[in-house]
Amino acid sequence: MLLKSTLKLLNNPVNRLLINRINSFNYGTVTSSINLDFLKRDKTSKAMKAYLERAQQHDEFMKTQNEEFKIGKRHLANMMGEDPVIYEDQEKIDEAISYLMPSALYDKRARPMMKPPEKIFPERKAAEFDETGRAHHFLFYTSKPNFFQLLYDAVEHLNGLNKFEDNMTRQQKSVDPALRLELSGSEWINQDQLELKLVENIQPVEYRYFVNVMNRLIEHPYSFRVKDFIDIYRRPLMNQTIILDIPKPHIDKDGKSFITVYECLRKKARGDVTVRFPGSGKILINGQDVTYFEYDQSREQILFPLIFTEMLDKVDIEANVEGGGPSGQAGAIRWGIAMGLRSFVDADVVEKMRYAGLLQRDYRRRERKKPGQEGARRKFTWKKR
Amino acid sequence: MLPKANAYGLFRIISNNLPKRFFSSAAVSEIKELELDTPKIVNGRVNPLTHPDYFNVGNLFTVRDLLEARVHFGHKVGSLNDRMKPYLFGSRLDFTIFDLEQTKEHLQRALNVAAHTAMQGGIILFFCRSSINAHTVEKTALECGEFAHTRYWRGGTFTNSKVQFKAVTRLPDLCIFLNTLNNVMLQHTAIRDSAKMNIPTIGVVDSNCSPDLLTYVVPGNDDSPASIELYCKLFKEAILRGKAKRKEFIEELEALEKEQAS
Repeated sequence: MLLKSTLKLLNNPVNRLLINRINSFNYGTVTSSINLDFLKRDKTSKAMKAYLERAQQHDEFMKTQNEEFKIGKRHLANMMGEDPVIYEDQEKIDEAISYLMPSALYDKRARPMMKPPEKIFPERKAAEFDETGRAHHFLFYTSKPNFFQLLYDAVEHLNGLNKFEDNMTRQQKSVDPALRLELSGSEWINQDQLELKLVENIQPVEYRYFVNVMNRLIEHPYSFRVKDFIDIYRRPLMNQTIILDIPKPHIDKDGKSFITVYECLRKKARGDVTVRFPGSGKILINGQDVTYFEYDQSREQILFPLIFTEMLDKVDIEANVEGGGPSGQAGAIRWGIAMGLRSFVDADVVEKMRYAGLLQRDYRRRERKKPGQEGARRKFTWKKR
Repeated sequence: MLPKANAYGLFRIISNNLPKRFFSSAAVSEIKELELDTPKIVNGRVNPLTHPDYFNVGNLFTVRDLLEARVHFGHKVGSLNDRMKPYLFGSRLDFTIFDLEQTKEHLQRALNVAAHTAMQGGIILFFCRSSINAHTVEKTALECGEFAHTRYWRGGTFTNSKVQFKAVTRLPDLCIFLNTLNNVMLQHTAIRDSAKMNIPTIGVVDSNCSPDLLTYVVPGNDDSPASIELYCKLFKEAILRGKAKRKEFIEELEALEKEQAS
């Protein structure tokens, strides 16, 4: 009765508030049966039913596939005249298959195979929603929840850092430059790797969003506070350890240290170079001295790494080279000497040599002559008639 | 876009100098109670569906809160949508000003709907295409355990959901648009699609937006972060109240069932 009379007064919000107070007292004390029909609905949603149906189909399919696989193993044992027990081992199955059906197809996945069905058919994705059909992820309806969650997290971190920075400014504290994030040796993972990480397909424009927001994050003076988050999406730049992996020199019977570089290639020339330390600047090429090369240019080529590292009279060089012409041979020896010298000079000299291009192989080859032309590029002399 | 004037001063000037409604207005006044067949009281318990304000959303905010959050600022008069005229109080320095009394009523009703949907276990999806406010909206959705979509809308997410999600998918039961425009010119496609799929919508409509396809309109500023933060706070609170009620009811029901079983 109380409620009925109050309903008339509803136009006045103050009254409404008051009434609500009274009402809340009212229903708080009632314990008799309640009208809660809306809670008793069929709990399983259509979405879940459809999912369960598909899951059941998949399970049945996998069951038949498993049985077929078992029978197949027995057939294999019969054909090979072996005890079926040994075909529990997958390696034995692979051996038998490659024996019975030899294949030279290039792609190994295209060759005949017999593997457990779990390895051949992809695993089913787990349901992304609960039994009422409510999705687990709050960005589910964007259809790329993981990617947009990543953007959300980045902004969340950025806001946190801004707040922290404000706090620090208020306390008149500045950033310790030693704590700044060192990111010169790494870069953002590329689109394919990001897709793999997130298990979602990403458009190029979306990848750009990712790079932009992450760049904004690392530009923040306090970005070191979220290093863990940033590191997940960084990858190291091209590994230089291969170049920097300098071999240790060997010791010969005279107690001199030496290093031999094999496979020194340039154009058609091929050779190997031995650098001995300490030495007196002797150079031996195919049993001759520098005069092995007629041209000054070729001689200069060989001397260049020695002059560059100031080791001209501190090492002995011995080179065997064949094939190609003088410039090719000189180039091959130059590269061999430079590579060998790395073991006898400081690390920063090695870095200088790298900058100078001494450690770079020259992969250029002779370009073929073309028909209708005099050479690779040169045309025949043009005559009007 | 919005004049940076002292909110209080501006309101005073308007109320002193422009007492009459500037635009012709068949002003939407009181929100009438639904006349339902269901009884108002069942077994001595208040029926949530007939109760005018079951979740006390009336006490969540005041007109002053709206004013402080700059909800009354509309766009320039030139961009006014004719269908928004009834919700306006007038114009000031060529900018439209919303009638906050009306906005209050509409917002209360929208909050009530959101709370009821949450109590019934419905899925609520928040939208906002403005990049400044997108994060606030997503955060709100996360905090109240609901969903957000503030990104590019792939056509057919609702209308072709079976293909889009590669499975039968439950669509949201209520869409809340914190702004209804994709950009200055275009309306969000999800509004049209919700109408097609019979999903109720709540939309904050600014003076340059069309309220036509929305189920529950909330006339007000949809650009300022302050306004969006206020709406988000209110909707979050309403939804949490609805969910708390639901939890309470479920516990009650389980207790009753246990009693009957023993």
